[in-house]
Amino acid sequence: MTSITVEAVRLTKNFGRRSAVEDVSFTASQGEIVGLLGPNGAGKTTTVRLLTTVLEPTSGEFSIAGYPHTSATEIRRCVGVLPESSGYPSPQTGGEYLRFYARLYGLSRSQARSVSAELLAAVGLEERSRSRISTYSRGMRQRLGIARALVNNPAVVFLDEPTLGLDPAGQAQVLSIIRGIAKSRDATVVLSTHLLPEVEELCSKVVILNHGRVVASGSVSEVIKTALIEQSAELRVPLDLVERARNVLAGFRDLTVDQTPEQPDVLILAVDRPGTGAAPGEVMNEVLAAITASGIPVLRFELEGSRLSDAFLKMTSEAVA
Amino acid sequence: MTVQVAPQPAVGTSQDVRARAEGESGWLVVAEQECRDLWTSGRGLMLLFLFSVLLSAVTYLTSTNQALNFLEQRESVNLVLQFAVAVGVLATLVVSADGISGERERGTLETLLVTPVPRRSIIAGKLIAALSLWFATFLVSIPYVWVLARGVGILGQALVLGLCVGTLVAIGLGCIGLLISAACNSNKTSIAASIFLLLILFAPTQLPSGLPQGWFFEVLLRANPVASGLAYISSLLVEGHSWTQDLSFLITPLLTVIIAGGALVLAGPRLVRLTRGENAG
Repeated sequence: MTSITVEAVRLTKNFGRRSAVEDVSFTASQGEIVGLLGPNGAGKTTTVRLLTTVLEPTSGEFSIAGYPHTSATEIRRCVGVLPESSGYPSPQTGGEYLRFYARLYGLSRSQARSVSAELLAAVGLEERSRSRISTYSRGMRQRLGIARALVNNPAVVFLDEPTLGLDPAGQAQVLSIIRGIAKSRDATVVLSTHLLPEVEELCSKVVILNHGRVVASGSVSEVIKTALIEQSAELRVPLDLVERARNVLAGFRDLTVDQTPEQPDVLILAVDRPGTGAAPGEVMNEVLAAITASGIPVLRFELEGSRLSDAFLKMTSEAVA
Repeated sequence: MTVQVAPQPAVGTSQDVRARAEGESGWLVVAEQECRDLWTSGRGLMLLFLFSVLLSAVTYLTSTNQALNFLEQRESVNLVLQFAVAVGVLATLVVSADGISGERERGTLETLLVTPVPRRSIIAGKLIAALSLWFATFLVSIPYVWVLARGVGILGQALVLGLCVGTLVAIGLGCIGLLISAACNSNKTSIAASIFLLLILFAPTQLPSGLPQGWFFEVLLRANPVASGLAYISSLLVEGHSWTQDLSFLITPLLTVIIAGGALVLAGPRLVRLTRGENAG
């Protein structure tokens, strides 16, 4: 049975007259990876700082692993955090750094040594444990930061932009580690990031923030559905069968079919009045079924507007407008 | 590359960690790491090296003057001891002024703030690390004092006096350095303000003794923790007063420790924040 490990209720943080976060509410369960998304300045970092007790909320409440927000020390014992643009003490070695943090959580020297060795191995830094952090690459520092966030075997791990500034290989490594944290440790991961395709792949839940407010939350498919994005598709068929395909598609009332001179074998399909009749996704399914049933080979069928990035852009731009 | 993060039975659950954390001293862990950073990074050793070079020059000059009968031997000891205290205190102040603002600037404070270590323990650990520099400068000054104090029988008195008064002043100014550091977002501002403060405090001690010294000078001297501490050392070493005769000189250094230390203890949780001021975390 999974339990709720993060619960934020109408969380608000004002800095003077400026409201950084307003009425933010969401929950996350054990073993779940929650993506905290939003454009720059949306309030993601403030939300993470509130939930990790670095900042005090102006109003609202939250609980972490069952501890109310008033029990800051208890919460700090059961969370692990990789802050955005976290600094590292250059003169220390990776091993020293982890041992220091492990001891801050009350582990003895020998326990701290074994935990640090284990975590360095887990993030692929065991061979650099005796090297100074100043010699680490950005990706290595991020992995060290994630290892530090795990020294206390936390119930909830907050990772604020863990892939920022990393090359694709570095991003893949970090994302693989994140997946491992939720799966093997059964910990909740709150992941603040801009990498939408990865969020779509990794996260079971997303919370989209804009101007400090939650504009959407739920599973990826729920969020996309909430965005009510007008769906369109590109259908590529053999050039000599284009006219036959157009005839088949003429039977669909709410469907507009277009073509461009550059790609005469590609039909651009759009649902005219989404939300009025069948859902756009269903219309597209029926289109695909009709084309294949009529014996026209489908060379390519690409659905637009069904990705998280589309929903994200729509929701954040709507809020700006 | 696929990296699998396995569970760690050795660490146990958060509950286990909590149970152990209750018996651990966070301030000790912070102090140990801060001392290691200070001394292994070369920062502390560099300050100590510069101090020993300066102290060598001062000792040479005073002993030469002594040979020419310009400076009495007790005064030479007093001068070198005062120099050791002043520089040791300056070093403590500079290191403590870097304590919080430096962490903010390097982006390492947030990770410290999310640990269960109380803010007061973080402050205490940083203060102890800063004081280690004072104790190191005092250790370095011992041979110099020994050389100058030979034959006048004040070696033991000078060392005990230097250690007690110096430690008292260093704790007080270390606390002030941390308060300044907490109030500054920029490390440069914090260190510059601290050095400026020390110069203001140290200036009265450098006034020529031939100047008329009325009540205003007396107030200035007694209100100043550094100057009054050094005046106490002088009164014992040079004027030969007893330990209890001029104890009133130690009121200001003691009050500095109580007030600045008290402010750190009471306001510690509000001072150690991600940023200072209205937008403080």
